Amino acid sequence: MAIDAENQQVTPEYIEGAEGFRSEEMVLNMGPQHPSTHGVLRLVLTLDGETVVHCTPVIGYLHRGIEKILENRPYMGGIRYMDNADYLSPMLNETAYAGAVEQLMGLEPPRRAQYIRLMTNEMQRIASHMVAIGTYLLDLGAMTPVLYCFRDREGIMDLFEALGGSRFNVNYLRVGGVLHDFPKGWLSRLEQWCNTFDDSLKELENLVAGNEIFEARTQGVGYIDPQQAVAYGLTGPNLRGSGVSFDLRVDRPYMAYREVAVNPAVRQEGDAFARFRCRLDECYESLRLIRVAMDQLPGGPISTRTPIALRPPRGETYFAVESSKGEQGIYLISDGSEYPYRAKIRGPSFVNLQILPELLRGHKMGDVVAILGSIDLVLGEVDR
Amino acid sequence: MIPEIWQEVIHFFITLIFTLLFVPVIPLVGTYLDRKILGLMQDRLGPTYVGPFGSLQSVVDMVKLLSKEDIKASATDNIVFTLAPVVFLAPVITAFVILPFSPYMTVSALPTGIILYVALSSLDVIGVFMAGWGSNNKYALMGGLRSAAQMISYELPLVLSLIPVIMLTSALGKGGIGSISLSDIIRAQMNPWWLWFVLIQPLGLLIYYTCGLAETNRAPFDLPEAESELVAGYLTEYSGLRWAMFFLGEYANMVIVSVITTALFLGGWSGPGANEGFWVGLLGGIGGGIVFNIIAVFWFMVKLWAVIFLFVWIRATLPRLRADQLMRFAWLVLMPITLANILISGFILLIVPELMGTVTVLQVPVQVWILGAVNWVMFFVYVFLLGRLTGVSVTGKTPRWMKRRVLAQAKAQPAQPAAQPAALAQAQK
Repeated sequence: MAIDAENQQVTPEYIEGAEGFRSEEMVLNMGPQHPSTHGVLRLVLTLDGETVVHCTPVIGYLHRGIEKILENRPYMGGIRYMDNADYLSPMLNETAYAGAVEQLMGLEPPRRAQYIRLMTNEMQRIASHMVAIGTYLLDLGAMTPVLYCFRDREGIMDLFEALGGSRFNVNYLRVGGVLHDFPKGWLSRLEQWCNTFDDSLKELENLVAGNEIFEARTQGVGYIDPQQAVAYGLTGPNLRGSGVSFDLRVDRPYMAYREVAVNPAVRQEGDAFARFRCRLDECYESLRLIRVAMDQLPGGPISTRTPIALRPPRGETYFAVESSKGEQGIYLISDGSEYPYRAKIRGPSFVNLQILPELLRGHKMGDVVAILGSIDLVLGEVDR
Repeated sequence: MIPEIWQEVIHFFITLIFTLLFVPVIPLVGTYLDRKILGLMQDRLGPTYVGPFGSLQSVVDMVKLLSKEDIKASATDNIVFTLAPVVFLAPVITAFVILPFSPYMTVSALPTGIILYVALSSLDVIGVFMAGWGSNNKYALMGGLRSAAQMISYELPLVLSLIPVIMLTSALGKGGIGSISLSDIIRAQMNPWWLWFVLIQPLGLLIYYTCGLAETNRAPFDLPEAESELVAGYLTEYSGLRWAMFFLGEYANMVIVSVITTALFLGGWSGPGANEGFWVGLLGGIGGGIVFNIIAVFWFMVKLWAVIFLFVWIRATLPRLRADQLMRFAWLVLMPITLANILISGFILLIVPELMGTVTVLQVPVQVWILGAVNWVMFFVYVFLLGRLTGVSVTGKTPRWMKRRVLAQAKAQPAQPAAQPAALAQAQK
């Protein structure tokens, strides 16, 4: 097989089969418009029959230049653009960005703001995992779980709408705190949602986790060695599914996570099922964390008094949070002006995507979607 | 009194019109129920906008499909591409001829009904393969190839799972002569009226239904048109009327499988009130016949739609198998169990009368009772083993209970996290 790197074209070679029967490798363009590439990922697959010989991911179809936009907006204005990076977990992105600016300025948000951030982060993590689990099962051909997942996610979206006025791009966090306190009755609504979600999560688990076909499709598929996972820089459920217990909430705790203990979900198997299972277990853990945070919620101000036009001192900083996909980091350089001199997003999906060609090699065509879905990419953040 | 030849002609036209109307009504009613039931199961409403409770949605969809532009990609193999829907649909509609809705409502009560059904149902694959090849599309080609492999593989256990039923009719029939006519098989289940073959051959029903799912490309065996992998499989390049023909064919196929299930295993039209002698005695020849046939069609439809409901239920619940798992399941699980079913059934039906003579319990020969008991045991053993051994038989990998032991070992020695996944990696190879 010859790969023309410049034109991203793969020229198939003839394969000499048994008894002089000549067969040919087939190049299949999967995406960017394909039902299960989770957005606009394009995979150039070289297939021998149904077996994947080679895979080249082609990215950049959703490039919006978010990093460049961040450099052209005041620090406070950048938060809104972080919503669009990983569009399934805007709260977590905002936390990463706000945390980075606070670190740059040497600020510490008030405790109440930290707890509010923790609660919204865990809600966002559940929402993101619900999409991941639902669409993953849809890729595997089960059409019901995705609707259950989206129904549960809808509750979170409604709660976010009450907080920030917007369901999806919430724009709720501010440097030094949050936009405003909970509306009236919000906490009781959250508690109600937690109770219903508890039941529906168990329902989802009953529907999916013991299913023979689902296990046959996912167990032993897309195996990632722990060493390999670390070498590729995987983070999040993909890493923890391979038996490496690394969670920024535990290993590099930030904000309220310094006070609230987190039990990261770790699985030893390293296959697609383990990664799925990690996400499901993390939902239970996030639900517990929300309840703990609701119990311990301190009073006091929700934001430090910061000017609208922030001028952090000269310097550089890196701040990372445990996003639903992994380590969501922001690297900022300040030259003392109102705008960041340089902003760089360390996106977990982008890094996790690198292992895909390695994983797909030798698997069947049907496993391509099973593996792709188990890695849980969000193309908005890969392309940025 | 009308002469016999005219009776034949009237019978032919009534049944033909009934059957021909039934063919287009199926997708209309079927898709509507499909959507509504799926909606119910998935916590949503389904169609609500067109007509009362959205009941005209499928009509509107059909109009949309018929009035669409006829798009043909430039590189298609024209003749093959155009002919494929016809080749797919023709045998399906032909198969409706033998379906016995009631004693009267059968276009042709062929004495070789099952053979004709089996022959026609295996013709479908040609149309599907033509569609896959003629589209000149890689997804379509893969869908067509998958479909050809799948339909041919599942044809064998499907046919073989019907043989115990035919054996049963020979045990119940006069003089030990069996029948392969659908109407005769239904009649064999009506003496006494509750003797449906599902009670005696549950394993046969399970195998037949599994193969029927695969044969009609319904979930969990809907690989040829696996949306998430192959976009739409062999249907990728089709739109408008041609697509509608495939759609119609698929729904009709599903109904045929359901009808055969109903006729062979669920007692066909038998049910409370479906007693010809009683009605004829009460209302005379013609009136009694009409009332009886209406009741018979009613019971048949109830059972038919119950089976179709099961199709939808399975579709809402199960994920999809992988192509190689599907093949392995057909050849390594279904084939042996079907052959074992044939052998054991035949053995019991032959050996028991030799040992015990002709003993009748509750109007039924005793060997049938014994066969039923053995078959129920086999049914549960099969289901249990399938649940236990899916890891081995379907995927060729470590079964779950073995994996659990490996995991327990890994937990006991947390110092070497890499040791355990390596074992799994080997299993993966």
